[in-house]
Amino acid sequence: MSYKTSLSGSWWRKHRFFKLYMLREATVLPLAFLLCSLLAGVFSLQDAERFAQWQSFMGNPLIVAVHLIALLASLYHAFTFFQLFPRVMPIRLGDKTLPAQWLVAAQWLAVVVIIAIVLWVVSGGEP
Amino acid sequence: MNVQTRAIEVTRYSPERDKEPYLQRYDVPFDESTSILDALNYIKEHIDATLSYRWSCRMAICGSCGVMVNGIPKLGCKDFLRLYDHTPETPIRIEPLAHFSVERDLIVNMDEFLTHLEAVKPYIIGDNVDTASLPAEASLQSPAQLSRYQQFANCINCGLCYAACPQFGLNPEFVGPGAIALAHRYNLDSRDHGKTERMPLLNSKNGVWSCTFVGFCSDVCPKGVDPAAAVNQGKVDSAKSMLIQLFKGSQLQGEHQ
Amino acid sequence: MSRLRGLHFEPLWWSLFSAGGVCFAVFVPAVALVFGVLVPLGVIEVSFVELVGWYQGIWGLIFTGAVLCLPAFHAAHRIRHGLHDLKLGGGSTSAFICYGVAAVFSFTALWAWFTF
Ligand code: SF4
Ligand code: FES
Repeated sequence: MSYKTSLSGSWWRKHRFFKLYMLREATVLPLAFLLCSLLAGVFSLQDAERFAQWQSFMGNPLIVAVHLIALLASLYHAFTFFQLFPRVMPIRLGDKTLPAQWLVAAQWLAVVVIIAIVLWVVSGGEP
Repeated sequence: MNVQTRAIEVTRYSPERDKEPYLQRYDVPFDESTSILDALNYIKEHIDATLSYRWSCRMAICGSCGVMVNGIPKLGCKDFLRLYDHTPETPIRIEPLAHFSVERDLIVNMDEFLTHLEAVKPYIIGDNVDTASLPAEASLQSPAQLSRYQQFANCINCGLCYAACPQFGLNPEFVGPGAIALAHRYNLDSRDHGKTERMPLLNSKNGVWSCTFVGFCSDVCPKGVDPAAAVNQGKVDSAKSMLIQLFKGSQLQGEHQ
Repeated sequence: MSRLRGLHFEPLWWSLFSAGGVCFAVFVPAVALVFGVLVPLGVIEVSFVELVGWYQGIWGLIFTGAVLCLPAFHAAHRIRHGLHDLKLGGGSTSAFICYGVAAVFSFTALWAWFTF
């Protein structure tokens, strides 16, 4: 007779690596909230009054706090996702694989460029 | 030289005697070069001859000495007492590999991994040619062809990645990191023609799709195989293979660049 | 039928999850920063008319796909597997609910743009 235990639902609390994994998976919770806020925003574009209502909802300090968490979550997700990408889809040129750091750097560059473009456009630049 | 000792707790379990495993404490002398395996050997030779554990090569080649050290899967011969805290109050805890059934003390039932390994056909499958009659050049490979799978060929079947994988812990039917890494290794080999035979299992829900890229398997692998990368590259392959099956009505043929 | 033998939806969910993961990493930080934090705090002003102008055009559709629909499927996939990890489900019922909600959400977002 051999001895076998089965994993309990709290297995991930045993090790830091697993806690960080769960944190990565949990980044979608504030994301889900942000998505709902944004969808409400899209519907509020139908008339100016509803838009003003949406803006006051978005300005509620509690809501801003949750969206700030969503921002941090998206950055943590990006940090983990960018490292996984070169491992899932290594880019090969001839018999060499493109160094993973280049791909990670290129992806962060994309994030910065998108932020810059969005900031530039909303602060009055022409799209 | 002044001899230091280190407290070690080892899981003991005898199926005839014990209802469940328990920890037993030993004090072993150690220096800079004492490995976990050396400590176990010391216990067996000098303190308690009934302690059971596996080992053979003591140089990270045979893959038989895997144990949990303070909760992390390690090769006993590649992990050293000096790397752990030096107070006698905090013993180093040595346990059998997680997620496997324990047979006795530190010995687990490796069949739970090996049946998955066997199922992925981890060997070159030819195209029914009698290889002995072929000229030697027929199996030559270019460095580029070798570099496609070389990393995944370093696996020594130690099973540490299975002890690190919560998805295997939750679902023992999951083919698992090591076996999928080896399946991928042969799928990427220019001499192999067995991809069609391996894909149905990899395509299944207990194949590559049980993985959520926790990634701890690659962290603990003593040979730098990166099984998590293999499994997730396998998802891309599996998605392609299933699409082709859907449109062509047949399995993906082995394709090689 | 042999062409369907052994097929399941996991590759489809995984593809949507991956595409959504790229969007979550690349586009969502900018949107969360600007519309979730900077605009509400008054650091940046945006007018209703300007926003309507952008939303009406192709930018609105790109926003809908890359910031709403794909990240919704990304979230659904992680929640579904998270339930399995926590031993709270993760089987076909969870899958139906998670991907179903993402599909309804995406359909609503697309419908909002097409009927704008
Ligand atoms: S992939 Fe690494 S950890 Fe897993 S069995 Fe092979 S050598 Fe061991
Ligand atoms: S004894 Fe062979 S790998 Fe450790």
